[in-house]
Amino acid sequence: MGTSDTVGVMADEDRRKFLRAATRAIGGGVGLVVAGPALTLLADPATKMTVTTPTAPLDLGLAEQFRVGAEPRKVDVIAPVVKDAWLASRNVMLGAAWIQRTAPDKIVALSAVCPHLGCAVNWDPSAGNFACSCHDSRFNAAGDKLSGPAERGMDELPLQVVDGRLQLTWIRYKLGQTVREPA
Amino acid sequence: MKASVRDYLRERGISGGRAPSMIAGGASFAYVFGAVLLFLLLMEAVTGAALAAFYAPSSTDAWGSVAYLQDQASLGWLVRGIHFQGASAIVIVTGIHLVQTALYGAYKKPREVVWWLGILLMMLTLAWAMTGFVLRWDQAGYWANKAEIGIAAGMPLIGNAIKKLAIGGNDYGNLTLTRFYMLHVTILPAVVGGVTAGHVMLSRKLGPTPLGDGEQVSRPRWPDQTLRNTIAIAVVFTILLAYVISRHGVDLAAPADPVQAYDARPQWYFRWLFELRELSGSAKQLVAFAVPAIIGGALVALPLVDREPVRDPRRRVLYVGGLAGLLALVCGLTIASFASDAGSDELAKREAKASERAALARKLARENGVPATGAGDVFWTAPMARARALYESRCKSCHDAESKDRKGPIIAAGHGNRAWLKAFIKNPSGDENWGRTRLAKTNACMKPFQQLDPVDLDNLVELIYSESGESDVVEDKRKRGIDVFEHASIDCHSREEGMPGPAAPGLGGVGSRAYYLSFISNPKSALHMGHDKDRSQMPRFDKELTLAERDALAEYLVWLRKATPEDLAALDPY
Repeated sequence: MGTSDTVGVMADEDRRKFLRAATRAIGGGVGLVVAGPALTLLADPATKMTVTTPTAPLDLGLAEQFRVGAEPRKVDVIAPVVKDAWLASRNVMLGAAWIQRTAPDKIVALSAVCPHLGCAVNWDPSAGNFACSCHDSRFNAAGDKLSGPAERGMDELPLQVVDGRLQLTWIRYKLGQTVREPA
Repeated sequence: MKASVRDYLRERGISGGRAPSMIAGGASFAYVFGAVLLFLLLMEAVTGAALAAFYAPSSTDAWGSVAYLQDQASLGWLVRGIHFQGASAIVIVTGIHLVQTALYGAYKKPREVVWWLGILLMMLTLAWAMTGFVLRWDQAGYWANKAEIGIAAGMPLIGNAIKKLAIGGNDYGNLTLTRFYMLHVTILPAVVGGVTAGHVMLSRKLGPTPLGDGEQVSRPRWPDQTLRNTIAIAVVFTILLAYVISRHGVDLAAPADPVQAYDARPQWYFRWLFELRELSGSAKQLVAFAVPAIIGGALVALPLVDREPVRDPRRRVLYVGGLAGLLALVCGLTIASFASDAGSDELAKREAKASERAALARKLARENGVPATGAGDVFWTAPMARARALYESRCKSCHDAESKDRKGPIIAAGHGNRAWLKAFIKNPSGDENWGRTRLAKTNACMKPFQQLDPVDLDNLVELIYSESGESDVVEDKRKRGIDVFEHASIDCHSREEGMPGPAAPGLGGVGSRAYYLSFISNPKSALHMGHDKDRSQMPRFDKELTLAERDALAEYLVWLRKATPEDLAALDPY
């Protein structure tokens, strides 16, 4: 029953405590350095524009083909290049726009994407208005809402005429809300 | 019989009993290697999972996805580097673990099964590394895999079937990648995980082989041994990390290309076998799979042959000597293989070219993206790439300064710019111009304008330069140039678009894309060199090349006017 034995046991217990703490600290440190870069890499796409469609205006052909009084005409909107992470795809169809000349010096483009749930809006020549094929929302020739579940009128797209050619800026808007904001 | 099987299993820790929490003989740094390997395997799992979130196992996309991960995703290069070099670390630590076990005689009863599972794990991890190397679908991984599968295909009877099964069909393609990817991320991790669990569980139950013979104190595994394991893990990981950072991760060669030869080399840990195969002449196919099989068989047989309980290496000279001999052979062959590569200047040149090509492919992938038609087509996204290739195959032999049998004027950077026009007008029959054509030896050839007043010459050059449609024309000079033209050139040439001159080619639009297209299509037309009779040796290309190809060449000639020799050099991918 010597005191030195008790001191020895105590010292051993302290030593164990220290060893445990040291093991956890070193192990945790290594774990962090392994997991850190892996998690940074995993989170990387969330910080980037991984899919980029052109923000610059896209050429839709000659403006003179649209005449005052003619019915709206559907034109495909095609991006020369769409980048998706590593991939660059050429001539990608982004969607379509309904184009009409409302006055000699004014051409209007309406997105063919229905503001309700994104179906394709078509021109109904017999009724003389736009109709969505999915839920029969109706819009007049100017794109204002007439009837149906759509929350707002059709979305107008920025259109310019440069050197006699139509230049359209393609924008996708958020669906199913009265406010028009880019998606 | 039944009882003896039960005894066998119990004695070897396979059934019954639990892992003791104490280590007989105390903790030691000699016991850390298994724990380090376990850590490295887990590290591969973590980094591998992050990489899998970016990887696309398809022959068109695989290289592009790896290039994106390597060059564009944050820390992608680091994670990929750790994952790749982690495999090397596993091979090194496995080697130490194996040599130590063999030296201590730790494979002896009752630890035979632990040893066998260890040998199996070593082979599985080597195969695992092999399935990973091909996934990047670059020249290095593609050609190395072709060589490895070629070895397997050399096996008698079943070789061809194994090859077809491994690459998923008759040739390399999408199914090759999906197959190796499946092996790499599902089957092998599961199998290695299972075998590792057995290996670790049994060795825990049986405890480490005591270092000495005498009776020793026992110490608790946690924390005494665990701390030593953790310190060893930290040291190995620090070395690995420092190596990966110092090399900026791991290389990526140009996209896999079945028609572009490449000096395929296996990973360093297979180089001994590669060298042995090279040295074996006509027996190389046999050697390549027979030697690993013999070595594997010998390792498996070791506990069955070396059965005496004695573990002291000095008293097991035969086995220790055999192992040392094997190690010396493997190291010697590895060194010989690297030395013979290092001694070859030809190889160094080819490798330098290959890495230039890789750098260009990665730069283009970063800037332009990889085309949907496949990563190999990334080279075509370089400006003028297609025209340059056409030039190489169709124009170069007659028009390049370096061509031995040049027949026409040199076409180089700056072709058709003001300096070039001036030099041409001064000396049309100079060697760099028409000097080598038949035309130069006739009276019909344009005479040198050496006596023309320098100011007049400048103005004339500006006028002709303006025909190209370039936007940087000095209008005053051009106008004065009209007078010079009326005086000096009008007898022979015309400036009217589409009109031949009275005695020489029409110069309307000369140097424009449309002009070049027309000239390349038919140099013998009345508008060009056929104004009186055909005076051109240049063939028509309107039948041989498509309109798009001729237009690409015309665009190239326009581009060349403002290009420098450096711009031109930057275009050449090979």
